[in-house]
Amino acid sequence: MESVLALRGLVLLRDSVEWEGRSLLKALIKKAALGGEQVHILGCEVSEEEFRAGFDSSINSRLVYYDLFRDPLNWAQTGEALPGGPLGALQAMCKRTDPGPVTVALDSLSWLLLRLPCAALCQALCAMSRQHACRGGGPAAEQLCVLGLLHRELHGPGPTGALSSLAQTEVTLGGTAGQASAHILCRRPRQRPPLETLWFSVLPDLSLDLQGGPPLESQPHPDPHTPQVEPASHLTFNLHLSKREREAKDSLTLPFQFSSEKQQALLRPGPGPATSRIFYEPDAFDDLDPEDPDGDLDV
Amino acid sequence: MAAAATCGTGAGSTGSMVAAGGKNNVTSFQRRGPRASGSDSSYSRLVSIAGTRPSVRNGQLLVSTGLPALDQLLGGGLAVGTVLLIEEDKYNIYSSLLFKYFLAEGIINGHTLLVASAKEDPADILQELPAPLLDDNVKKDFDEDACNHKTAESNIKMKIAWRYQLLPKMEAGPVSSSRFGHYYDASKKMPQELIEASKWHGFFSPEKSSSTLNIEPCSLTHGYIKLLQFIQNIIYEEGFDGSNPQKKQKNILRIGIQNLGSPLWGDDICCTENGNSHSLTKFLYVLRGLLRTSLSACMITMPTHLIQNKAIISRVTNLSDTVVGLESFIGSERETNPLYKDYHGLIHIRQIPRLNNLIYDVSDVKDLAFKLKKKLFTIEGHSREQCILVALTPAQ
Repeated sequence: MESVLALRGLVLLRDSVEWEGRSLLKALIKKAALGGEQVHILGCEVSEEEFRAGFDSSINSRLVYYDLFRDPLNWAQTGEALPGGPLGALQAMCKRTDPGPVTVALDSLSWLLLRLPCAALCQALCAMSRQHACRGGGPAAEQLCVLGLLHRELHGPGPTGALSSLAQTEVTLGGTAGQASAHILCRRPRQRPPLETLWFSVLPDLSLDLQGGPPLESQPHPDPHTPQVEPASHLTFNLHLSKREREAKDSLTLPFQFSSEKQQALLRPGPGPATSRIFYEPDAFDDLDPEDPDGDLDV
Repeated sequence: MAAAATCGTGAGSTGSMVAAGGKNNVTSFQRRGPRASGSDSSYSRLVSIAGTRPSVRNGQLLVSTGLPALDQLLGGGLAVGTVLLIEEDKYNIYSSLLFKYFLAEGIINGHTLLVASAKEDPADILQELPAPLLDDNVKKDFDEDACNHKTAESNIKMKIAWRYQLLPKMEAGPVSSSRFGHYYDASKKMPQELIEASKWHGFFSPEKSSSTLNIEPCSLTHGYIKLLQFIQNIIYEEGFDGSNPQKKQKNILRIGIQNLGSPLWGDDICCTENGNSHSLTKFLYVLRGLLRTSLSACMITMPTHLIQNKAIISRVTNLSDTVVGLESFIGSERETNPLYKDYHGLIHIRQIPRLNNLIYDVSDVKDLAFKLKKKLFTIEGHSREQCILVALTPAQ
């Protein structure tokens, strides 16, 4: 289970109104900080004090926080704001990271998606990992993790589909009966993406508590998206035979098998008046020799 | 082909059907017309480009797509000067594999490659190409796969009246020492020396187009403009359009464009419904003009499942020549369908071009499924009626 949490690349945390994802984001940030990585945070939706609440002081001192909440359009003209608006802030963030494992948390990606053109945001996200790789010298896949919080009810299928196709891992938050779950889909380059479900809860000190399965009280109902398909359900022919039909079928001789009864039946003339006969009226142009109908054969 | 017959006789070919004296074992049919000594005529020069062959239907020059089964479905191969559009599957696993097969085939045949991508560096893409299978190994792989398949079926004794055994099989066995269409091992990488010996040009969109200009609507996005200029330069400089008379052998340019239309190219066609909907279609139109006037073939993979405006998909289909759609079963309800348990996905041949021809060259089998075994990617004809074996009931 821990291997699934070794998140690299772009990770989308898709939350919804019922199951919020900021606490999971903060728990993952704490895990990264305790692991010795650099952590950079772009805060857009909540104030810095509110975001930092819950982290203890040692972790708080390691977090590098870029605040876009207080003054996103830089009206106060203080020198500390990042130039270029939100897009410039993203680009500046990746310039300021030192080589080595880095976790970048975007709180939230929805805020950026609503204010920036989607294509530009996708390009900036891809550029981040590439530039980090250039500087660090190691493969980008191992070094940089971008955690993006996405509120899935805010966006249509287009932007979410575009971001999903870019993301290496998608974590969709859901849950039943008070227990939160995370459906994790990892895109591997050449293999089928494994889909896992983790049941977890975030404790007050922002550590993750992983449970093995759903809580006992809830009824596990089958996944509504995978019904068992019965292939023979809508056929125009009869697939199942009764016993009498099966016996009749077994005793049937096939058209391309010549048994002796069939030969006799063919050779014997038909019973009673002829059921079918061919009547032939020779044409005026026909020069059929009645004694030798196949006049042209030399046999 | 007729060109081969002229090589047999060296002397005096102006006679028509003259019976040979019998002193040399050549064909008694002689070619009427001016003496064609073979190497100088333009007809035989076209035929002698490595990795191409003329179509048996209409003489169109074809290149292989890298998958002999797909070549068969497309009527022999991909025509030079046309675009093959692959509609990507949802997780872009199998379409990128087809893309790599196309490029690997170019390397094996000695064609020049042009690789364009917005997501991965072309040099990295070339490192991931599959290794070609040698002839004796291919036969072994095919035979052992066929054995596994047959043992399951031989247990069922069916009394059927229709002659199912006459139905054509889609999988053609590997033709040993074939110069058109090779088999690749998806689990191994192409040897480094083959890649280095090949000639390739890479276009990586984030490096080439760095500015974010304000483009007016109904025009090409910046990334597309740069890509078209790049392709045009390569075609002109290397003489694929016949502009510089080449003293050396003519060659084919294989263009591979990955993930066209994704947001990484700067195109928002996948993000919104009302975006710049003409950029992609203009790009395809200009690209087709470039291809038709040069000796090149192009494969494009496009994430059409992300495109929000469905009218654009039909426009894109009309602007491409051959369109193949991949639908993988991962995550869909068909994964549990027992009909599809042997396969990884379906292939839909959406469009086949009519090039210098009045009729389409469509294969008879309509339902096609693919599966990626450990080494080989195979396409098989699959139909519901073949899977449900019909029992005859006597008519009462």
